[in-house]
Amino acid sequence: MMQLLIGQVLNGIIVGTLYGVIALGVTLTFGITGIVNFALGEFMMIGAYFTWYLVDFGGLPFAVALLPAVAGTAACGFLTDQLLFRFTRNNLVNGLLVSIGLISVVEAGALLLWSATPKEMSYVLTGSLQLGGISLPRMKLLVFGLLAAVILCTYAALSRTWMGRAAYAFAQNPEAAMLMGVKTARLQTGVVVYSTALAGFGGSLYASLYTLEPAMGGLYILKGVEAAILGGIGSPLGSLVGGLILGVTEAVGSIYLPSAFRDAYGLIFVVAILLYRPSGLFGADK
Amino acid sequence: MKVLRWLPWVALAVLPLVLHSNFILTIFIFSFILGMAAVSFNLVFGFTGQLSMFHAAAFGIGAYVTYLAVSRWHVSFWIALLPTIAITVAISIVVGVICFKFKLKAFYFAVVTMAFSELARLIVLNWNSVTNGTLGLMVLDKPVVWIPGAGSLKIDGTTAWYYFSFIGLMMTVAVCAIVLRSWIGRCFAAIRLNEDLAQTLGIDIFRYKLLSFMIANILAALAGSVYAFYIGYIEPSYLSIAQSLDIIAMVLLGGRSSIIGPIVGAFVLTGLPHVIELSAELRVILYGLILILTILLMPNGIVGTLVSRRRAT
Repeated sequence: MMQLLIGQVLNGIIVGTLYGVIALGVTLTFGITGIVNFALGEFMMIGAYFTWYLVDFGGLPFAVALLPAVAGTAACGFLTDQLLFRFTRNNLVNGLLVSIGLISVVEAGALLLWSATPKEMSYVLTGSLQLGGISLPRMKLLVFGLLAAVILCTYAALSRTWMGRAAYAFAQNPEAAMLMGVKTARLQTGVVVYSTALAGFGGSLYASLYTLEPAMGGLYILKGVEAAILGGIGSPLGSLVGGLILGVTEAVGSIYLPSAFRDAYGLIFVVAILLYRPSGLFGADK
Repeated sequence: MKVLRWLPWVALAVLPLVLHSNFILTIFIFSFILGMAAVSFNLVFGFTGQLSMFHAAAFGIGAYVTYLAVSRWHVSFWIALLPTIAITVAISIVVGVICFKFKLKAFYFAVVTMAFSELARLIVLNWNSVTNGTLGLMVLDKPVVWIPGAGSLKIDGTTAWYYFSFIGLMMTVAVCAIVLRSWIGRCFAAIRLNEDLAQTLGIDIFRYKLLSFMIANILAALAGSVYAFYIGYIEPSYLSIAQSLDIIAMVLLGGRSSIIGPIVGAFVLTGLPHVIELSAELRVILYGLILILTILLMPNGIVGTLVSRRRAT
């Protein structure tokens, strides 16, 4: 029982950090461009398939394939920003619907390209660490470490670098930020592309653990949005914590409660937090 | 001008007499029924300004409750609509009171209603003894209507369903038009344009938002019942987020500022993929492209664009 519980908590943490990295993209995009990019899940799917393609067909080692896969996803992100999202800045409903249209296009395109058959990548890192009778798969630990590091680095970059503070300034008052010399158009594009790159990175790591299918993005974006709200929109650390809470709740909840409802456990948290603390766990009070 | 306004309705009413293609009439039936859902959704979205993601859930709940009442209690379709309305009202009040009491707005309202919608879908999906889970239910009954002179008539066959769904759509439009032309509609508009100002002017925004949410959900549930009895099959995907998004796409494509706009959207999105012969994947891609291009190029929808163009010239 203990082994099962710890195994599930670990699974929850891995899935939770994946939610967290998507949530970070959601939070950043929302803060800077005023829209929720529901297509981020699709960019995760694109990143995962690029990685799978490069590793299984290109014969590249996983660590090498990671970089071109993320770069490729970011390039797709740049393309969608210039063609679509540039025209929906600060228009929540239009942005939402454009990203939903994009989901249809990308998902059906992936079905045409790669078919609905689930794809499985060869193992990257096998074996597990034994820790007092509990086995921790090494790849899962590595994925958790990498994703948590990326989220923490983003947090550090936002609070320490000039660009990061420019982004904060822009989120608070666009006109004032513009007057202080922030290149706003470039900042907005940069944030959209960065959030798609984050999703692509999450997708690449996802490919090393789980099987891929074109519909995988839909679930992750919903969880990512929930995690972003749970942690508080606008807070990078909040998205990590929100993702972890969501992932662990689902994983542990499905041991004790009917697992068919695992997608609902997180939702109950989200509704409760919205009703009693609408700004989220880490969000600023208004 | 008054005559012109009625012309499309008359044209639709005589269409089956002129056109005998079952293929085209079937597309019309689907457009009418989905149009009912889209028109009612526009009441809460376009006219009251609340982006509800609960609409497909109401649609699906309507389908399930009507079928269950017919099959379990052996009552007619029309009697079964009463428990459907009652249950929809009860669920709308629970969801609506939670959302509006806590003053959830825009994005947050959308997310919480989406959460409730997912919850409803999961319940339907997993309540195997009642809903038969993923396998869905076969609906073999058909509604029976009584027509003066002709006696009772079972709604079966394309032409009968054409008129049945057409009347359903007209009733939905009529209810929306009556509501929107009364003081209720003006309160909805006040809430949409400026919620704080509406409250200052003494409008009970909580009550009117709830009313809008409730009427829209009832009409959607009725559309769901008609849809289920037409197709003869109910499955949990009726309540899915994708279904909600389809309805939103219809409203935006047609235009959210008029009552009939969503019907135009329903026709285009239901008809176009069938008119052009394409594989399933290409059809979804086309659907997505239509959605993206409409929003970027015609943000007021087809009807909105036509109206503003006519005013300009």
